[in-house]
Amino acid sequence: MSVPFIKVEDLIFTYDDEDSIDKHYVLKNLSLEIEKGSFVCVLGHNGSGKSTFAKLLNMILSPDEGKIYIDGLDITDPEITEDDLFEIRRKVGMVFQNPDNQLVATIVEEDVAFGPENLGVEPSEIRRRVDSALETVGMSEYATHAPHRLSGGQKQRVAIAGIIAMQPECIIFDESTAMLDPQGRAEVMNTIAKLNREQGITVIHITHNMDEAVKADRVVVINEGEVFLDGTPKEVFSNVEKLRRAGLDVPQVTELFYDLSNHGVDLPSDILCEEEGAEILSAWLKK
Amino acid sequence: MTKLKLVDVNYTYSEGTPFRKDALRNINIEIEDNCITGLIGHTGCGKSTLVQLLNGLLFPTSGEVMFDGKNIKEKGYDLKTLRHKVGLVFQYPEYQLFEDTVYDDIAFGPKNMGLDKDEIDRRIREAALFVGLEERYFEVSPFDLSGGQKRRAAIAGIMAMDPDVLILDEPAAGLDPIGREEILGGIYSYQRKRKNAVVIVSHSMEDMARYSDKLIVMNGGEVFMQGNCREVFSETDKLLSVGLDVPQITKFMRELKSKGVDVRTDIFTVDEARAEILSKIGGRGNA
Amino acid sequence: MLKDITLGQFFPGRSFLHRIDPRTKIIAALLYIVAVFLCDSIMSFIILLAATLALIALSGVPVKIIVKGLKPLIFILAFTTIYNVFFYKGDHILVHWKFITIYLEGVVFALIMGLRIICLLTGSSVLMTYTTSPIMLTDGIERLLSPLNKIKAPVHEFAMMMSIALRFIPTLVEETDKIMCAQKARGADFSSGGLIKRARALIPVLVPLFISAFRRASDLAVAMECRCYRGGSGRTRMTKTHFGARDVILFTATVILGTVIVLSNIYFPIWMI
Repeated sequence: MSVPFIKVEDLIFTYDDEDSIDKHYVLKNLSLEIEKGSFVCVLGHNGSGKSTFAKLLNMILSPDEGKIYIDGLDITDPEITEDDLFEIRRKVGMVFQNPDNQLVATIVEEDVAFGPENLGVEPSEIRRRVDSALETVGMSEYATHAPHRLSGGQKQRVAIAGIIAMQPECIIFDESTAMLDPQGRAEVMNTIAKLNREQGITVIHITHNMDEAVKADRVVVINEGEVFLDGTPKEVFSNVEKLRRAGLDVPQVTELFYDLSNHGVDLPSDILCEEEGAEILSAWLKK
Repeated sequence: MTKLKLVDVNYTYSEGTPFRKDALRNINIEIEDNCITGLIGHTGCGKSTLVQLLNGLLFPTSGEVMFDGKNIKEKGYDLKTLRHKVGLVFQYPEYQLFEDTVYDDIAFGPKNMGLDKDEIDRRIREAALFVGLEERYFEVSPFDLSGGQKRRAAIAGIMAMDPDVLILDEPAAGLDPIGREEILGGIYSYQRKRKNAVVIVSHSMEDMARYSDKLIVMNGGEVFMQGNCREVFSETDKLLSVGLDVPQITKFMRELKSKGVDVRTDIFTVDEARAEILSKIGGRGNA
Repeated sequence: MLKDITLGQFFPGRSFLHRIDPRTKIIAALLYIVAVFLCDSIMSFIILLAATLALIALSGVPVKIIVKGLKPLIFILAFTTIYNVFFYKGDHILVHWKFITIYLEGVVFALIMGLRIICLLTGSSVLMTYTTSPIMLTDGIERLLSPLNKIKAPVHEFAMMMSIALRFIPTLVEETDKIMCAQKARGADFSSGGLIKRARALIPVLVPLFISAFRRASDLAVAMECRCYRGGSGRTRMTKTHFGARDVILFTATVILGTVIVLSNIYFPIWMI
């Protein structure tokens, strides 16, 4: 069996959070493996520990206890060098929530170049990477625009291009869609899916929006600092009761089928999209 | 009763310059008492401009804004009082908190209205109750609250001004399902008790279907549709044609109908859908 | 609206001036400014005007945009012109009416001052802000000042701070606008009362603005670290600038401009003041 790209073992993290007077955000005994090339959606309500988990993966935070292996390297090892750390950050890129607070430059293409410049890449190679990254996210025509004039979805795509230009193997989206309108959200989700499908980049998408989770290969629900549910979207969303207990919602159609089966109607409970649901229900009614 | 009325309102940004942009065209709407009005549309459809016209932060380029039958553009109109009577909660209102304690921050609006101490105190407690903010937070710095609690404190700050019309721009933006539910539920019960006019700007069709009595759909700076939820959501094709969504459950019912099952398609909540389907199944499900 | 204010706007392009090393442009701009102040005769002004027009042509920036950029200066321009027309004293009286006396020298001097201001701003902004993106400009400054690294001056950090400040000015201006509206909706009054009352009224705007700026700063720091930023050492640049023939041409041309202006002052001292 191949070595998973990311492997975390028994992570414990206590958060001395000054922003909150009555909560102590904690990860307790979180263990998880993520395969190379997969599209994993991490779901959880605010304060479930999902964002903390993301920040541990490229050592913005470090755990109190437990091990984190990225591509076989133990990044929690106290002996780890600064160079190793930067190599991890290159391999595991991160896109954040607020689109405004992650763009550094006043011109789109110069922002995309920021990462490769930090890595000391050759100028001609930077140029090539910047152009192809902007192409990938569909922002080529905005290359010389000022970021503050772009829409939220466009800014996030520029931020994504800035990460792609560093040629990462994995990108973590830390609630990158939370501040966007439906259109911006769709733009970003399409870009994410494309990166995963066409470039084989491992995607870890952190969100509390279940519509987005439906598109992933695998959904991991984190609740109270632990892995609460883990499986394909169908497997996870069929646990309507459990999800609600974890402060999450399910798609309306899933809820309907769940309700119907509670009323004694003999229908499957793992329906996610309306087409599939309509197909099954109409066939059932004609029986 | 009609509280706010817009007659033939147009609004143009940067009139007379090359940056001239029509934000609103021919707006004719009425905001009524005892009603939650949902305002829906894409980013850039003119919603935000419209909202600022309603309490005199902006004035129409042409046309009239009437509050309680009086034209607010008229000479000598008391704009300060208008802003007390038409409360406006901006998007991400937590960024406007500034006082030392939560209590003082909620008091800022009522204080500006010149109310006496006891009345201010009464209103603060009442508003906090509506948004579900416990009194033990009153003496805490607003910056030590969690994100969701900050949002509630900010909304309470406007509710405490006891406006005749309360306008909220995306009150649930960025919150997780529980947070959304609590904020929108709080606003709903506030309105049902106060029986005043509430306007909620939102992108979420599902939320609007649940909480609003009347809908105004904007597109390209114009009123595209208006009516009650059933009227609006029954015209799914029209909504989809301008890239707006309808609740997933509505799409599901349409899909079901297209598969030859004779069901109603003007359904927009899961409860209704379940009832409709159970009635079609009749006794079969329990057999 | 506040956010419509543009600060030293960059006009993207591939013109002669765009392709010159920012360091050369900064030095050329300094030389040009000196030349503007050396102009003292009709002849020298004609030369200066010709040079400025040539610069505009070389920049590829439409004249319309340059004229628009001068708009905010109308007040200063009008003020200096009027001031000089009425208060400059000389020997040749043009108009004398009651207590108003206008001298020929005053009119000439007013014209010269007006021309100077226009040339100064047009020339230096065409050389720098219009044709050099803020990052290239700060980059140029960083490299011009790089000898200071030897005395341990934090030149790279300074340049980085400058470019980040430029990036966030529009964002913060927009945010100020938003917070002011939000507090107005809560009954805050920014436009009445005395100075102290007005200053106090700004607290509800400044506190959230500062808090937001700090939050943005800390977010940005984390984002920069995630993009492998670790200071100036080992960094490369996408647009590798190096001195070429163009740089030599521009530099020589500005030196010649200065020399010709000085010479024309000496040999054609017409209307020298």
